[in-house]
Amino acid sequence: MTMELDEMKKLWTDMSAEREKQKLLTDQMVQNMTKSNYQSKLKKIRIPEIMGTTISIAAALYILMDMQQFNTWYLTGCGIISAIILVLLPFLSIRSVYRLQSVNISGVSYKETLLAYAKRKKEFVSVQKLAFILGALLVVVILPVMGKLIGGKDLFAESWLWIWYSIGFLFFSFYARYVFRHYMNSVSEAEVILKELE
Amino acid sequence: MQQDHAFVEIIRENEALIYKITRVYADTREDEQDLYQEIVYQLWKSFPSFRNESKVSTWIYRVALNTAIAYLNKEKRKGMVLPIHEILFNRPEERDVVKEEQIGLLYSHIKALSIVEKGIILLWLDGKNYEEIADITGFSSSNVGTRLGRIKQKLSHQINQ
Repeated sequence: MTMELDEMKKLWTDMSAEREKQKLLTDQMVQNMTKSNYQSKLKKIRIPEIMGTTISIAAALYILMDMQQFNTWYLTGCGIISAIILVLLPFLSIRSVYRLQSVNISGVSYKETLLAYAKRKKEFVSVQKLAFILGALLVVVILPVMGKLIGGKDLFAESWLWIWYSIGFLFFSFYARYVFRHYMNSVSEAEVILKELE
Repeated sequence: MQQDHAFVEIIRENEALIYKITRVYADTREDEQDLYQEIVYQLWKSFPSFRNESKVSTWIYRVALNTAIAYLNKEKRKGMVLPIHEILFNRPEERDVVKEEQIGLLYSHIKALSIVEKGIILLWLDGKNYEEIADITGFSSSNVGTRLGRIKQKLSHQINQ
């Protein structure tokens, strides 16, 4: 079935007129949609972010308070890096989600909103990439830290740690390739919009 | 209270407009419902700052189109969705099978356009002139004209394929 442009406009006009006649919304339905108990999907920060931040900060504090247990320079180094990443990761995540969703919806035009979203999407993807790399680094450095704090062992002295690291790295490199391809798609979508708006 | 009543009236008068935007921008029936609620909610939030400086329909188009963009960019999470009466998303205008097919085709052609083009063509189909489209979208009138020409060409090509 094909359709000419004029037919298309006529069909749209007829459909609009018909739809306007229908008046399906009731006062109650509109009021329900405006009530404060309606949880907006565009709400800025929600429970998963808050929980993630709490857990990360708690873990960072746990590491920092037990720093004296690290009796070698490399364990101390891993402890400090772990604590920094644990604080940085939720901060980056919340900030990027907030930035992406804090575009003013009512006071700006369609073009301005599209521009803002495309720019923030690119920024969001860069932060996500950074967070992904930091997350991978955290897995590497937190393992010996927790081994020492919980099990009292220096895992670097155990030869199997290196085997696990090697296997982990192999899986990580495949996963990273998949994740980065996904990020690249998001960025190119944003770039297409920016180019179209030029 | 009077403000509540005025708002409800505005929404009821423009329910078809919101419906069309949700259908163009959302892919599934569930997303349409969700976006519809989100648009009404965002309109409600910005209603106190609406001072009749522009036409009501201009204000609704702006907020609704911007909400649709924001909705497309949202992280997919499950939130509470109010049970909007299913009748709102039934498509009684599509009882006629041939018409139903044509309307489905019409929406699929519009959905195949880019996000920038969707907004412009939707306003053109709704009978807005270049100045009104420019006012809502933020493009200049001449730019709207150029873009519309290109979109129409693209649509013609699409529908004749």
